[in-house]
Amino acid sequence: MKKLCLLIVLVLLLASMTAAIAQDKPFAGQTIRVVLANHAWTDAVAPILSRFEEETGIKVEWESYGEEQLNQKLTTEFIAGKAGIDVFMTRPLQEGANMEMNGWYQDLKDYVSKDAEYDFEDFTEASRSAVTFNGTITAIPLVTEQEILYYRKDILEEKGIAVPTTMEELYAAAEALNDPDNDFYGFVARGQRSPLVTQLSAYIYSYGGDWFDRDTYTATLNTPETLAGIEMYSNLLRNFGPPGVLNMHWAQCIGIFNEKKVALYTDASSLYPNLLDPTKSDVADVTGCAVFPAGPEGSVSYDITAWGLAMYGESENKDAAWEFIRWATSRENSLYIQGEKAQQLARTSVWADPEGIKSFPADWAAAVAGTINAKSYDRPLITAVTEARDIIGGVVVTAIEGGDFEAVADEANAQFQSLLDLEK
Amino acid sequence: MTQKIRKWVGNAVYFAIVFLLLMLFLSPFLWMVYCSFKTPIELSKLPVNWLKGLTLDNYNKVFVQQNFFKFIKNSLIVAGGSTIFGLILGLPAAFAIARHSMKKASMLILVSRMMPGITFLLPLYIMFRQIGIVDTYLSLILSHMLTGLPFIIWLMTPFFESIPKDLVEAAIVDGAGSMTAFLRVVLPLSVPGIVTASILSFTFSWNNFMFSIVLATNKTRTVPVAIYNFISYASIDWGGLMAAATVITIPILILAITTQRYVIRGMTAGAVKG
Repeated sequence: MKKLCLLIVLVLLLASMTAAIAQDKPFAGQTIRVVLANHAWTDAVAPILSRFEEETGIKVEWESYGEEQLNQKLTTEFIAGKAGIDVFMTRPLQEGANMEMNGWYQDLKDYVSKDAEYDFEDFTEASRSAVTFNGTITAIPLVTEQEILYYRKDILEEKGIAVPTTMEELYAAAEALNDPDNDFYGFVARGQRSPLVTQLSAYIYSYGGDWFDRDTYTATLNTPETLAGIEMYSNLLRNFGPPGVLNMHWAQCIGIFNEKKVALYTDASSLYPNLLDPTKSDVADVTGCAVFPAGPEGSVSYDITAWGLAMYGESENKDAAWEFIRWATSRENSLYIQGEKAQQLARTSVWADPEGIKSFPADWAAAVAGTINAKSYDRPLITAVTEARDIIGGVVVTAIEGGDFEAVADEANAQFQSLLDLEK
Repeated sequence: MTQKIRKWVGNAVYFAIVFLLLMLFLSPFLWMVYCSFKTPIELSKLPVNWLKGLTLDNYNKVFVQQNFFKFIKNSLIVAGGSTIFGLILGLPAAFAIARHSMKKASMLILVSRMMPGITFLLPLYIMFRQIGIVDTYLSLILSHMLTGLPFIIWLMTPFFESIPKDLVEAAIVDGAGSMTAFLRVVLPLSVPGIVTASILSFTFSWNNFMFSIVLATNKTRTVPVAIYNFISYASIDWGGLMAAATVITIPILILAITTQRYVIRGMTAGAVKG
């Protein structure tokens, strides 16, 4: 009898112990599949992934792809239905509207609201609105970016020109610095039809223009304000840009800037390591950053959420998937990823913490922090983004070539309106 | 004397043209190889400083950080597998088509080659998932056979047609079945054609991107997909990219050089007869 008692006690003890362990790691034994983009954020998280696996007992199957390949892969698997994906990286501006319409995102509203410690309100307002479609929280904002001005400190100083703060100053500086006879150019920015649209956006916003009226779904590509922005952008490129600018995406712009052939450059803040990292750039020590120059409406840049972390709507491991998203975007890990790995994240508390900005170049951080009055989108927020970018890009290409872009803008506006009519 | 000069001028012109053409085709390739030994900062500098900033770092990235050996192994398995299975199915098929002039069957096979591959992507993905082979070599091998197999059949049919009927008939008179005649008589005579078909099928599979991106996961990732590891959002590692491109070109280059004699014979054999 005594032995039996002892046995029962032992069994109970053991059972409670395993229960305690199970309590500690409620997800032990679960596996989630996480599909990500080739991105510096991905590289920053990969080395600390084992911590998450240890803490939670969740095994993470980790894949990453180039950005267009990722989209292709996700779309194929989602269309086929019941894809074995749990968490994926997504571009809210590019495919957000489309994927939301298809129901591929899990609405994260309940997940973020039931977790006070997580503090979703800590994410910037722009980033929260960027991932919210029709009241659905489609993803947790990961990395953000703004359009800023890059300039050559040494050249500006040599010619005694102040850092441009307005569009007029930008134009005058580009004109003064332009020296095509010596193969040196005043200004560069993207000139390729579709890629240029996002960097054009801050120009038209600063002149008071926009892509369309978001309340009435009326296209506004040919309003005087939008046209003024397009005119400034294309005049800068036509008059002071390097030859072959129509073939330039950011990689070509960076290339020519690093070849010391150009003085001023407007593009995304996320590109800064290509220009300011001494192992990648020859002009790292003479490149400065500034807030986007102001137009009649002030400096209205964009403040976009380039990437978010989403949960697949038909995931079979939703709790484990949320556990991963929560961990990856927690305040603690955000501080590490931004502070140590110099990723531009969306948590305001991290930006406010000196530890959070210690890895950034000072004037770059100032330019980003100074981008206050900004829109949360850099392209029209509709499902047919690709087509819309093509239509808008066509107007700018005509303008850079010196054609009658106002007439083309009227045509483009009508085409764009017909896209909008489909989505009203 | 004048004849000698004329001959000399002729030779000079000939070699000048050959040199020009070679430069035209080789310079991008040589540039790629050269860039694979440069540091990122030297890559963007103009004018080019030929001896400065040389490094083996890019190859370190390719083999140590990215482990391209694994991707090359995957590609070899997939390309080799799809070629071997393609031959096993394709050679007898081509022989049957050639022997019995099955024009309709051969047209049908050609149609599958004419359709853009992307048409098959989604159905294949759904089917493979249902039988649970999505992230296995088998799914990649099967999907790559879609491009390789019709090609093998179409290349080999005229080749088999060019082999005299009498040879096969003689073998059959001597007591061989048509399978034995095919294996013992026809195949040994068709080696150049088979080699050509194999190399081209292998190359198609090696370079195939569309099926590989959707059907492969980390375990089975092939080189054309892996090369995108060097391109990420807002940064492109040109040096690493060039090194990886060089590395994945080498196996194909070796294959082409060692077997080019067969390729040319096979091509012309098919062309004259076809």
